[in-house]
Amino acid sequence: MISGSSESLEKKSPENRVALITGSGKGVGAGIIRVFTKAGIRCCINCNTNRAMADELLKEVESYGGEAFIYQADVTDPEMRKGMVDAVLEHYGRLDILVNNAAMQPNRFIDGYDEETFRWLWNINIGGYFHMVRECLPYLKESPEGRIINISSVHGKRPTSFDAGYATTKGAIRMFTRELALELLPTGITVNAIDLGGCKIEFKTGNAKWVTYHPMEINNPTMKRVNLQVLPTEVGDVVYFLCSKEGKAINGHAVRVDNGLLLT
Amino acid sequence: MENKDKIVVITDLRTEEAKSAASYLSGLGYTIVSPPDSVRLWKEEEITAFAAPLKENLYAVIHPAPPLFKGGIMEVTEEDWERMSNEGAIAAFMVTKAFCTIFREKKSGIMIYLNSIHAEKPMGKGILYSMNCGAVDMLSREAAQDYSESGVNVFFIERGITQSDDGKSDASALYYGTDMRYPRRETPKADYLNGLIAFLLTDAAYPLTGQPILCDAGMTGFYNQHRFKVEGREYFDFRKFRELREKESGK
Repeated sequence: MISGSSESLEKKSPENRVALITGSGKGVGAGIIRVFTKAGIRCCINCNTNRAMADELLKEVESYGGEAFIYQADVTDPEMRKGMVDAVLEHYGRLDILVNNAAMQPNRFIDGYDEETFRWLWNINIGGYFHMVRECLPYLKESPEGRIINISSVHGKRPTSFDAGYATTKGAIRMFTRELALELLPTGITVNAIDLGGCKIEFKTGNAKWVTYHPMEINNPTMKRVNLQVLPTEVGDVVYFLCSKEGKAINGHAVRVDNGLLLT
Repeated sequence: MENKDKIVVITDLRTEEAKSAASYLSGLGYTIVSPPDSVRLWKEEEITAFAAPLKENLYAVIHPAPPLFKGGIMEVTEEDWERMSNEGAIAAFMVTKAFCTIFREKKSGIMIYLNSIHAEKPMGKGILYSMNCGAVDMLSREAAQDYSESGVNVFFIERGITQSDDGKSDASALYYGTDMRYPRRETPKADYLNGLIAFLLTDAAYPLTGQPILCDAGMTGFYNQHRFKVEGREYFDFRKFRELREKESGK
């Protein structure tokens, strides 16, 4: 199990908000679920292909008295998206936080993408975010402290040199976040992104079909010396802060959570 | 003319900036070629088939962003999403692949994305447009990484709003005093980018590869002074302020 500290935040559970985190059966999304549920936020765990891991996560959450339920859905499917949001409302009657996290990274150069593959990636990595916001927005507007967090990557600003399609979609998320934050200013909903660096996760979804994932430290001399990978719960801590009252003034921003990776 | 055997492909001539560039570069002797309407830029097969016969004299490609498209997150339709994805990021990706593959084989070539400041600055009502601009920004940086060592220069221009945008995109309906956002107090015409584009077509421009080039006549230097139109409110007019100040000081 990958764990991390959220001790400082555990005592801060002033409300009983509800969060939907896409792609949260494992990896970064699961880290956010752990932090949120420990802080008293009720969560929808969304998984698509890795149901068994989501089941394990739910057991863990329930073991410390957290509240969550699992909804298996593909965020590119309109009916499943709607079904998931309906399920959240059915379970908890409200929705305060949307964390867009479900994404893929095939690791290909431009030449390695054909139209179909790029379109597939586009529809998950930005289409999923865009459509989930459209699905959730009417309910987020009813929340006194609505929050949208888009999990992105340092590759929304810096090229990868190994996955052109992935970086292209992250560039889209960068501007999606800024546009949305500006548009939703009058509603009080804040919209921020997390520019994630290397993160220690179990495995990357879909890699079996594509190219094997090589951890960055293999090619990065700095990371050989110092482990710059962040833990999923460390990401969760930052997301929790952005969703807290104290984080209200941060809007339209991309917070770099990378242990300083982008400085190298 | 020394440029007469050089083909410059301009992939989309719908914007005034693209038309102006075509006319200007034609005047410099370049041979300008654009895909017919039957070629959909986001269809890999179609754009690849269009590019192939141009290989011998292909010198540069200019890929403009689609015309500015306004619409909030709940205002745009599914059809808008599909169209803007096609005309934005997907078209740029397929155009890049089709032409840069040729450039790589030739070991030379120039790829220019004639894009927008909305790859960096939001407008508040342009979710699909800005999102796609941001995507193409990152695509250009990746293209530089993928192709530059094969002799391909890749440039990304963040252009500002022009007078033609005001008419066509209704930007003036969105903001107060577009002119006031420029240090010269004048929204530039569509031809203001031509000099830069001509420079990027020269060998001297190669150090600018792989990074966004901001060319917006100073507009974003003034960005924080943007004011969205709000009924019943007036915008601070610098010209009137200056006139008043001069009047008071007796000048």
